[in-house]
Amino acid sequence: MNSSLIHSVASVALLALPLCAQDVLAVKGGKVITMTGAVIDDATVLIENGRILKLGKSADIEVPWTAKVIDATGKTVLPTYVLAHTTGGVRGMNEQMQNVPWISIADALDPANTFFEDCLRNGVGTVHAIPGNQTLLGGSGMVVRPFGRTVEDMAVATSSGLKISLFAQGGGRLQQIRKLHRSLDDVREYLVDFERRKAEFEKEKKAGAIASDKEWTEEYDRQKKPVIDLLQKKIKGWLFVPSAAEVPEAIRLTKELNLVLVLGPNMHKAIDELKALNVPVVLDETIEYFEVDPETQVEQKIATPSLFAAAGIPFALSIGIGGASGYPWWQLATCVRNGVDRQAALKALTTVPAQLLSLDDQLGSLAEGKLGNLQILTGDPLLATTWVETVVLEGMVVYERAKDQRLKYLFAEPKPQGDATTLKEPKDKAEPKDKAEPKDKAEPKDKAEKAPQGGKTGAPAKEGK
Amino acid sequence: MKLPALTLLLLTTALIAQDQTTVYKGARVWPGGGAPIDNAVLVIAHGKVLQLGGPDTQVPDDAVIIDVSGKSITPGLIDAAWNGLAPSDQNEQGSESTPALHALDSVDARSNGFLKARRMGVTAVHVMPGTMNVIGGLSAVVKTFALDPTAMVVRDEAALRIALGAEPSSGNRAIRGGSVDSIYYRRPTTRMGVIWEVRRGFYDAQDYLTQTIEGGKPQPNRDLDVLGRVLQGKLAIITTARSEQDLRTALRLGREFGYTPVIDEAQEAHFVIDELAAAKVWVMCSAPSADRLAGSAGQDGAEPRFSTLPALAEKGIPFVITTGTNPLALDLVREATFAVRFGIPAEKALDAITSDAATLLGVADRIGKLATGKDADLVIWSAEPFDPASQPLFVIIDGNQAPTSR
Repeated sequence: MNSSLIHSVASVALLALPLCAQDVLAVKGGKVITMTGAVIDDATVLIENGRILKLGKSADIEVPWTAKVIDATGKTVLPTYVLAHTTGGVRGMNEQMQNVPWISIADALDPANTFFEDCLRNGVGTVHAIPGNQTLLGGSGMVVRPFGRTVEDMAVATSSGLKISLFAQGGGRLQQIRKLHRSLDDVREYLVDFERRKAEFEKEKKAGAIASDKEWTEEYDRQKKPVIDLLQKKIKGWLFVPSAAEVPEAIRLTKELNLVLVLGPNMHKAIDELKALNVPVVLDETIEYFEVDPETQVEQKIATPSLFAAAGIPFALSIGIGGASGYPWWQLATCVRNGVDRQAALKALTTVPAQLLSLDDQLGSLAEGKLGNLQILTGDPLLATTWVETVVLEGMVVYERAKDQRLKYLFAEPKPQGDATTLKEPKDKAEPKDKAEPKDKAEPKDKAEKAPQGGKTGAPAKEGK
Repeated sequence: MKLPALTLLLLTTALIAQDQTTVYKGARVWPGGGAPIDNAVLVIAHGKVLQLGGPDTQVPDDAVIIDVSGKSITPGLIDAAWNGLAPSDQNEQGSESTPALHALDSVDARSNGFLKARRMGVTAVHVMPGTMNVIGGLSAVVKTFALDPTAMVVRDEAALRIALGAEPSSGNRAIRGGSVDSIYYRRPTTRMGVIWEVRRGFYDAQDYLTQTIEGGKPQPNRDLDVLGRVLQGKLAIITTARSEQDLRTALRLGREFGYTPVIDEAQEAHFVIDELAAAKVWVMCSAPSADRLAGSAGQDGAEPRFSTLPALAEKGIPFVITTGTNPLALDLVREATFAVRFGIPAEKALDAITSDAATLLGVADRIGKLATGKDADLVIWSAEPFDPASQPLFVIIDGNQAPTSR
């Protein structure tokens, strides 16, 4: 991966959770899938001050008596999943104006949104929230943990880069591309002008036309600054590429900018171009679909992850909001049933997105020194019958299935609301009334008087059919 | 002469054909309505199941033996409430009560819907008229493939469908100065009106039957004839109801006219579980996957829950799993996978999409189980059927490999 992508990490502030500060947590006896190392049976993960202190066979690790111990015997332990790109948990993901690089997703995040609750329920521990796709230069994203009452609580990395979109709006595909180039060129021209004025200032200062104690104080235009950072490759751009048709333009842009490609669903036709580019990409949440030939109606099944895996392009998976694609186990199993290697599928929700966020030295895998972000599952992560039992973020237990109120509600035996009939007749009395009804039917006279009246209005329509 | 065993990879379309006695050997076979058999021997001949047994089962001499070790075989799946046909053809707008319509008349054998269904292991579907009419008409059970399209029909006039709730009245407008007869002013416009349409139909049918019995020669009426058969217990009646209110209404109407409905959709069945048990009804649960935490897929204000299916199972209420009317429903096998996720044992979940569905639809003599004499409708899966990473490798209907593309 391009080493300059790591730049943004310099500005990343990893906030320690105050609650976990002095605690030692031991997750004991589980089958640990580390992602970067081997799978360890009967392993213990020791987390201190939010970081993994020790990880290995339970027999080899001494658990301090002060430690809080979670028994994970018979369970599977996995790093929490990482979402490389999502607009979930956000109120108003698309600013109406298209060219708004100065806005930030931090101001739209809603910590109370059930999306974050769902994240924990599904084992997601790191979320890259970023403005939506209906934009041009759409503003900054941020990396959050799906836990906390405020955006500050949730923050993992405060600026993750700038959203850029090739999604055509109010015009065609070419117009969107033209608008993007125009916007970037505007900022380039501004930069040139800025440097020219600065040079002139220094020149005049040297010539004595400006007092020698005066300094150049002008700063970059606040509204242009994110794009300047992008052009100077100080930050990443997260470029949404809606279809295969925009891929060539996206590839051209990668030559001048530091970009992560966030792909739309129909990418199979651009696989060769993307293979040549050979950088990790973010896949759409729709990863299995049928393409219908408009003439012959012949359908061809397309599974994007298997195409990318076959082409050797690392990919990160997305999670849908609602529907089966909202479950990580479903997305992973969809990869595997289409021929993707199990480990490659798991990487797509752990190490690859961590790498795209330049946080792979912190999270996405379980190893000594990394953040204590893990999930304890009741079984194999790819099975429908598996549930997330516990989620630990930076050494703190942030989710327990046994305490999940919404799950309890959905599994609980509900109390009937009752209706007019049940309120009127207690159950024991309802019985004889039921039995009385057939008698009514045996006396057609009463009903025969009523029925034709009802029947007459309906009759003409029926005969007219 | 014993032919050598073939591996699945060598399998070609030509091999899986009716005229050849075929033996599937080594798979884990879920027979439907029974425990799985490991390392099983399944013998197929002339489009029927000849025998199913353990590894010691004798194999006919002239059979082609196909090694399916490591795979799973289930009966072909049956979707008891399938909406795979063109929606525009499912709802007759000519009248709100159309008991004598045949859903079979809307079946296009070449529909992509059948292709989609059988590709994921569904070999028979129950086609009902749509839910926009109060009394929709007669349903049919059809296979998703046959060499001769007319042979797709397993059973016509399987049941009568009626629909309660807001859907039959949605889009209807009150008469404001227009012609009463105009179809643009279809009634009813409320739940009251919907239920009255049902009642009126059955009152008329009661009169119709009484006239018949008492001698006088009645005017033949196909609609009332159909409703009359329901009242006489000769025709099953499926009532589509989702919310608690509509479920109670469905049971009430049954009590009122002396029939036992089959309850379709039933997203709030958990609220009326005791009543459903007491009424001894079958329940057709649609799209369990729709019971999501965020973005509930409940229609008619219904609130689906994870506990619905386990509650039905616990009370011993017979149920089947369907894709139903939910446009977001997954493939039938995946819907059953969600049922397993919510606590239904895998064997029972499979029965709910095979043998139990066949029993409910009155076609158990032919399909739903892998047993001697039944149709050779089966699916060979790459792994356990409810492993989300599994998929059908081969779908066989009447002993023929069903094409999975056009």
